[in-house]
Amino acid sequence: MRPVCHGQVASYKEMNISNYIKFVFIAILLVSCSNDDTEYAPINEPLEFVNPTNFPQATYNFEANPPTKLGFELGKKLFYDGKLSSNGFISCGFCHEQAFAFTHHGHQFSHGIDDLEGTRNTPPIQNMAFLNEFAWDGATNHLDLFPIIPITNEVEMGETMTNVISKLQSDPDYPNEFQAAFEDGEVNSENFLKALGQFMAMMISSNSKYDKYIRNEEGGNFSELEKQGLAIFQQKCNSCHSTELFTDNSFRNNGLPPNPQLNDLGREEVSGASTDRYKFKVPSLRNIEKTAPYMHDGRLGTLMSVLNFYDAGVSDSETLDPLLKNDNRLGIGLSLEEKNALVAFLTTLTDETYLNDPRFAEY
Amino acid sequence: MNSKIVFTVVFSFLLFSSCSDDDNDSEELTGSGEVSIKFDNGFAGNDLVLGATNTANTNGEVLTITRFSYIVSNFSLVNDMGEEYVFPKDDSYFIINQELEDDNIVLPEIPAGEYTTLKFGVGVDQEKYLQGAEGQGDFLEKAEASNMMWSWQAGYKFLNFEGNFTSETVTEATEFKIHMGSHGSSLDNYKEVSLALPNKLRVGDEIDSSIHLKIDASKILVATNNIQLTEKSVIMVDEVKSPQIAVNTTEMFVVDHLHNGDAHD
Repeated sequence: MRPVCHGQVASYKEMNISNYIKFVFIAILLVSCSNDDTEYAPINEPLEFVNPTNFPQATYNFEANPPTKLGFELGKKLFYDGKLSSNGFISCGFCHEQAFAFTHHGHQFSHGIDDLEGTRNTPPIQNMAFLNEFAWDGATNHLDLFPIIPITNEVEMGETMTNVISKLQSDPDYPNEFQAAFEDGEVNSENFLKALGQFMAMMISSNSKYDKYIRNEEGGNFSELEKQGLAIFQQKCNSCHSTELFTDNSFRNNGLPPNPQLNDLGREEVSGASTDRYKFKVPSLRNIEKTAPYMHDGRLGTLMSVLNFYDAGVSDSETLDPLLKNDNRLGIGLSLEEKNALVAFLTTLTDETYLNDPRFAEY
Repeated sequence: MNSKIVFTVVFSFLLFSSCSDDDNDSEELTGSGEVSIKFDNGFAGNDLVLGATNTANTNGEVLTITRFSYIVSNFSLVNDMGEEYVFPKDDSYFIINQELEDDNIVLPEIPAGEYTTLKFGVGVDQEKYLQGAEGQGDFLEKAEASNMMWSWQAGYKFLNFEGNFTSETVTEATEFKIHMGSHGSSLDNYKEVSLALPNKLRVGDEIDSSIHLKIDASKILVATNNIQLTEKSVIMVDEVKSPQIAVNTTEMFVVDHLHNGDAHD
């Protein structure tokens, strides 16, 4: 594309030498401006969000915050920047590691500043554009607003939004990057959250073996055991882990005995309703093989332990989900064979493309 | 007195006398003007002074208030023809904060007209929440500066009312904290207020007017719903009491008077 020159320029013949020099000088300026590598006028362009064909329609409002190349890149930089925390070291990516579907590998609870520990297990970041409730207890119902929670949590990033914004404002690079990414270019909480929102909304995991199986694509051949696992899953698990997102987005008490040391009330902490006691969000099962430990408090180390729990560990309470109280028994009856088949099926939800996608990688 | 002062006095007199004439409809209102709204915080007919002891309420509770802040939003004005002018939503969120003495808001570029009703909301509506970052500007930072962020749930406190109290049975000064807001997606505590104006509010070119509201913070506990601190003194996410407090809070606003064509003193 040729640089477009706005305004009137005298015809070449009419120019005197000094005007000619000015013209050449302006031309050089324009050419250098059109160069992608200059930090003065990087070219922004829209990023296309592709809704996977086997997924439901995305819920994220892409019109309110249309992802762009530079908005996404800014969001990614912020995601991996420790400046968002009070001690300068804890970034979002610290607890959300890509290789483990953006969970905190090997940690029961998320670690924050000053080695403080939270009370819940880090959930994965994937397919957020399809959700309408976020965090284990639905503490926010908009993806854009989610980052406020870990940033301001005193045992996570322990910072204030005001401080984060002022650190970014006085940074040598961020003001230019905000300028390039957003029309009004301001370094404020709106654009800060929009950039992170763009980054997270684009993080889609839809290329697991299971997806290929469903879409009849190459690499989607299921073994007999995996097919058997899928059939059991559809019979015994997908009333809660429903749709291609493997969650119905609801809050349920799955009968996990409350840990008296934590006494985490779950959804009740947000709603104030005692009918919500011990209810937590039904998590997606995508990449579940990679996101151990399991449950909201990370108490179970393996998928087999999770299945053993549903088979024999469910405890009754007033708010226990009715689906786990059938046929005069608690939980979901599973034979060892069925458990083995389910584990085989669940590992087909691992999406190596996503776990290694350079677009989301820190380095 | 020199002639300049005489002129000023006479001129001001003319100005004031013309302003106090509310019935002068013959004058065509054109263009637009500014409307400011003063939130004059009080408690049961007296000034609200932070740290000072108030008179006992009907529950026999004596409150000393140390913090009183609330969010008001989505302003609109209805004219004498019943037409409603809705102030642009993105710019329509304000925090009234007694500690910072933020008690006056300004709504610029209100279309010329004679307005008879003021409407606004207390808190942040679900529509706004569901816009995510869009249109937030720097409201989050402002809310944070005023202790109106409920950061653990990425939401706002619509009302932050704190202090200590004594009652017949609670004789030692005991802390009270009332933080009211919506409970995620499960309970919407945003409420609307509609106030008829005692006379017409005139707005137009060169005519900036103001509305003086008197706020009675005692209503938060005693109004349509009766909230006893003696029973529960820290109310934050209470499925029963928070909605009751939200209703009571809408009842604390009363229009005291208007200033037509004159900035508020």
